[in-house]
Amino acid sequence: MRRVGRGIVSVSQQAGGILVLLAKILRRFFPPDIDYFEFKRNLHKMGNKSLFIVGLTAVFVGAIMVVQASVYVQQFSAYAFVGWGAGFVILRELGPILIALMFSGRVGANNTAELGTMVVTEQIDGLRALSIDPISYLIVPRFLSMILMLFALTVYGNIIALFGAAAFGQVMLGIEIRVFFSGVTTMLGPWDLWIGLIKSLAFGLIIALSSCYYGLAVRGGAPGVGRAVNSSVVASAVGIFVADYFLTFLVD
Amino acid sequence: MIRVTALSKRFGRKPALDDVSVELPQGALWGLIGPGASGKTVLIKHVAGLLTPDRGKVEIEGQNISAMGEVSRQRLRSRFGMLFQQNALFDSLTVAENVAFPLRRLTSLGEREIGERVDERLARVGLTDFRDRYPNALSGGQRKRVGIARATVTRSEYVIFDEPTAGLDPVTSQKIFDLLHAEQRAMKSTALMISSDVAGLMTVVDRVGMMLRGKLVFEGTREEALASRDPYVRQFLRGDTEGPL
Repeated sequence: MRRVGRGIVSVSQQAGGILVLLAKILRRFFPPDIDYFEFKRNLHKMGNKSLFIVGLTAVFVGAIMVVQASVYVQQFSAYAFVGWGAGFVILRELGPILIALMFSGRVGANNTAELGTMVVTEQIDGLRALSIDPISYLIVPRFLSMILMLFALTVYGNIIALFGAAAFGQVMLGIEIRVFFSGVTTMLGPWDLWIGLIKSLAFGLIIALSSCYYGLAVRGGAPGVGRAVNSSVVASAVGIFVADYFLTFLVD
Repeated sequence: MIRVTALSKRFGRKPALDDVSVELPQGALWGLIGPGASGKTVLIKHVAGLLTPDRGKVEIEGQNISAMGEVSRQRLRSRFGMLFQQNALFDSLTVAENVAFPLRRLTSLGEREIGERVDERLARVGLTDFRDRYPNALSGGQRKRVGIARATVTRSEYVIFDEPTAGLDPVTSQKIFDLLHAEQRAMKSTALMISSDVAGLMTVVDRVGMMLRGKLVFEGTREEALASRDPYVRQFLRGDTEGPL
């Protein structure tokens, strides 16, 4: 019982800490207090350098859709529905969630480790000693970059996943690419795309907040950095699934 | 003048500072000694406004830094130069960029003048050939010297050095002490220096304080410290293995 109580207190403390960090970040927007050089550097580091891994993930997301559907598509000759089925699942669900998980593992974990190392080696105190606000200089650029880049990578990943599904559909099931995309465009509306993109913004917010919070909360040297990375990735993954569940209800 | 009054701080249940009071006269070099985890770094972080005390206050020229908001503290901190125990060099910046960083952020100097100041500082600490290297490509002693160059490049009124000679050989250590002493005299700055190299530290300080389990157990001039009959101070200064420590 005591252990359960302690667990609840710990989770509440972490949730409270994340909300306080969010409030501190939002305060830096009124008036805007952002280091634009750091912002640009982070956009490049988090976005451009994730293109390959996100692209690779997306191709196989599309391929998996076709492999899973192939048995029933052939059984019922429902070739015209492959584009719709793949597009529906990729745009609304699988694309945003898998790209977010990949982003969390690559960018979020790296961000936590980097901030944690900066705490351990007193670089954060060093910034404060130089009259530089670490939230404006370090956190706000990372926060914005992660949200914007996950959104952009989801758009990019969705496109690659659809082309991947179309290519595998042609190779495995002989569905013409024109027929595949006809299913996508006639049976799906802009809202199907937007639902996934709204989710990607929420996932970006979750990854940005948890990776920055656990990075700044590091205590206890190098082992502390390892623990923080672990907590950050777990919290992001849990947050992504919980947010996905509620957003699906809310926006659908 | 820096005045610390009845300063107390706890981390969890453990008291890190316990009712510490001291006055540091303007232009003095104050050495702070004591065993590990005795509260030395916590005390200087309070003086720099990086920590907020549970009780007591720190006044810089009559302004209570402990009661200030973060923005006011930032303004006051721009008058401080600080070398951290772990150096706090920014990994993503080269040696020259690290040293130039406070000048770019805190002053309106042009790039040419910043370059000259950085070159002068790097020459002073013997790292001219390392200006384009990144901190992770330097030895511990070299990183320390970059930290010293960065802490002194703004010619601050107040400078704080936390273990400026850790990881350095005895000859380099003494050179660093002499360098810091000469800089402090030339700039007429008020300096606080923590060092485990007690012998080297005692060659340059005007006054010295000793921390033990969060308390300031001694404060006085260098001569008073050397003549002290306090068993803790005597043992620590002499490095005796026998004694109360």
